[in-house]
Amino acid sequence: MSSANLSRRAVVKAGAAAAVAAPALAACGPSAGGGDGGGKTLIRFLYATGDATWNEVVAAVTEAFNAQSENVVVEPEPLPAAADYATALKTIDATGNWPALVDMRDTLTYMEAGKIAPIPESVTALLSDEVYSPAEDGSVYIVPSTALNGEIGFNIVYDKDYFEANGLAVPTTYAEFIALMDAIKANGDVPLAMAAAEVWPSDQIWKPLAAPTFAQYSESGGFWNTVEAGEATIADLREPMERLKTITDEYALEGWQSTQDAQTSTLLVNGQAIMATSSAGLGRLNDIAKVDPDYNAGLFIIPADDGTLNVLKNSVNGETASGIAISKQAQDDGAQYDAAVEFLEYYYSVEACDLMEATGVVSPNIKAAAEVTRNSSIPGAADYFGLLENPKLAWYENEPNNPNHSTFQTFFRQSRIEMMDDQITVDELIEKSQDEFEKNMAEG
Amino acid sequence: MTDQQVLVKALPAEPPPAARPAPGRRRARFDRQRTAMLLFIAPAAILYALMMIVPSLQSIQFSLTDWDGISDTFQYVGLRNYEDILTSGRFWNAVRNTLILGLGSAVVVNAIALGVAMMLDKLDHAQGFFRTIVYLPALVSGFIAATIWKYVLNYNFGAVNSTLKALGLDAQTRDWLGDHDIVLWVLLFIICFTLGGNTTLIYLANLQSVPQELVEAARIDGASRAQVFRYVTWPMLAGAVTVNMTLMMIAGWTIFDQIMVLTMGGPGFISETMAFFIYKVGFGEYRAGYGSAAAVVLFIVVMATTMIANRYMRSREIQA
Repeated sequence: MSSANLSRRAVVKAGAAAAVAAPALAACGPSAGGGDGGGKTLIRFLYATGDATWNEVVAAVTEAFNAQSENVVVEPEPLPAAADYATALKTIDATGNWPALVDMRDTLTYMEAGKIAPIPESVTALLSDEVYSPAEDGSVYIVPSTALNGEIGFNIVYDKDYFEANGLAVPTTYAEFIALMDAIKANGDVPLAMAAAEVWPSDQIWKPLAAPTFAQYSESGGFWNTVEAGEATIADLREPMERLKTITDEYALEGWQSTQDAQTSTLLVNGQAIMATSSAGLGRLNDIAKVDPDYNAGLFIIPADDGTLNVLKNSVNGETASGIAISKQAQDDGAQYDAAVEFLEYYYSVEACDLMEATGVVSPNIKAAAEVTRNSSIPGAADYFGLLENPKLAWYENEPNNPNHSTFQTFFRQSRIEMMDDQITVDELIEKSQDEFEKNMAEG
Repeated sequence: MTDQQVLVKALPAEPPPAARPAPGRRRARFDRQRTAMLLFIAPAAILYALMMIVPSLQSIQFSLTDWDGISDTFQYVGLRNYEDILTSGRFWNAVRNTLILGLGSAVVVNAIALGVAMMLDKLDHAQGFFRTIVYLPALVSGFIAATIWKYVLNYNFGAVNSTLKALGLDAQTRDWLGDHDIVLWVLLFIICFTLGGNTTLIYLANLQSVPQELVEAARIDGASRAQVFRYVTWPMLAGAVTVNMTLMMIAGWTIFDQIMVLTMGGPGFISETMAFFIYKVGFGEYRAGYGSAAAVVLFIVVMATTMIANRYMRSREIQA
């Protein structure tokens, strides 16, 4: 039948069928936040797979929760380790398809944009008071996913057997750290494996180096706020920048530009480097133990000139705060919000915390922490717990107030890599970073 | 009945003038047909407009704002985003990379594809098998191909460096995806490797439609193989060259997945392309207004260069 012979009624019918089919097909796509889980409410939990251990923790806890919940099924939704998680989160926002539970980044930005929902007291009541804080409107929007030990997990992981065989010791000052790397180099070995392929792991070496400078501004509102107020400049970071350059040029394993975070464990176990940067703390030790149970790993923090171990204290509701949030989209749904709350109530139970500890991470700071069974079986775990009691440990704060700060940090990270990679000088890094900082803050 | 009568009978009878539909009825039938056609394309047209045209027009609006891509509100900032883009060294680096990868891949892929197509055209046996082999890389998604290359080229574990070391060529090992001096050329190589299949098939189809009588006439007149190619085959391929160059340039201007997987635009900003730059600032840096302005500039660059190149290539086409 040619189209010319179609009756008007047939044409109208075909058009109507097509018009009905289009939205029906569109409805075949995934529903926002979750869907039907065999009579139960299905919700998604989006998280970053930074390391294998964290992946296993999420899998273990969701599986245990699903087994005991009568109403809810939680589906873990990992984002690949190589992805830039913050950017991926933004992409998810653009699709308008938020999961009910989100491992949050750039929290302040999303909180101010109304994308995350208040977390009820039934959840926060389970947590120690110091690990959550209400925002200006009085609501709590983010709760910790693991123990809130700040950036104490920004460590140098090392081969203890090698240290022992060569008479080397964990450095107690920055000068000793450099001397340690010189000694390893003199042995014909490569001192340090670093990663920058996903960009963010470059922080693992930068943050400990910059910590002594940041710490100086802790009591005056933090370094970044002081720079924004015009009372400090990025040039004040010249010394850590120069140290970063020296370490990169003199002691780092070649290929760091294209090395991914997780690959540093393999480099360490293979003996291609004696030490490696990490930001996963106990999780990294657990990963190494799984790759090679016989590898005798330890960890330490790069000390300041005077031996202080400056560690950034967690922000509990600012831009740099990370943890678990419930999406506004789930709140609008109602059932999804209730399901997310039920999961969080389980997440902060002793049973779930025991599971987390057994899988290899330090569980969140809950009120019933004394009942949690701690896992000290991971090789090197004593070093990690020892850091928390180290008399040289000094917590500092550096929470930026400007919501545009994450925009600047993305730029600053890439610019530092340019400097490390000899594309620009330290002077050029300072100049371009200062310009970008002023522009970003003015727009914030 | 004569043969002529049979022929006349077989032909459809010309309707007598009185039996033809009146002009008013013809117009009504034409209108019905047009309505039917419009109704059939309406669902797709509406979806296309909603998914492509409206967002594209909206990005022109957003390019004049400071929208962060998340908030419900934004402010108009005039042409400030465009000023920032045009004075940004990072943007011009992305433009340079895009031109190198876009034009470079277009030229290299077309040259190699033409050579491969000519070899396939001359094959007497197993042409189907070799055609499949040549086309296979085009079946692998850019993302997956790039992921495989990422492992192959890894500095510490990759097959390339491991092979070089095994051959005693340690000095030749490089950080293929991390050395800022070579990373762009490595990306160009990978992109060319993945994109050649379709181009080869288009050339092969055109080579097989070159009239053989023209080739034979040239040979009888004493033309060498090179002269036959230069004066007969090549002009007959002009249409295919136009199509292939245009498709490759457009693919080159919008290169994204390979950059995303292989280098994330790095080390630093060195391997960012315009498409990656737009993604990075728009999504990673919460500057959707700025990213939209960059997208508008990319659109203008793609349109202008494609039109200029197309006009040049069309001017040298001949009709077979």
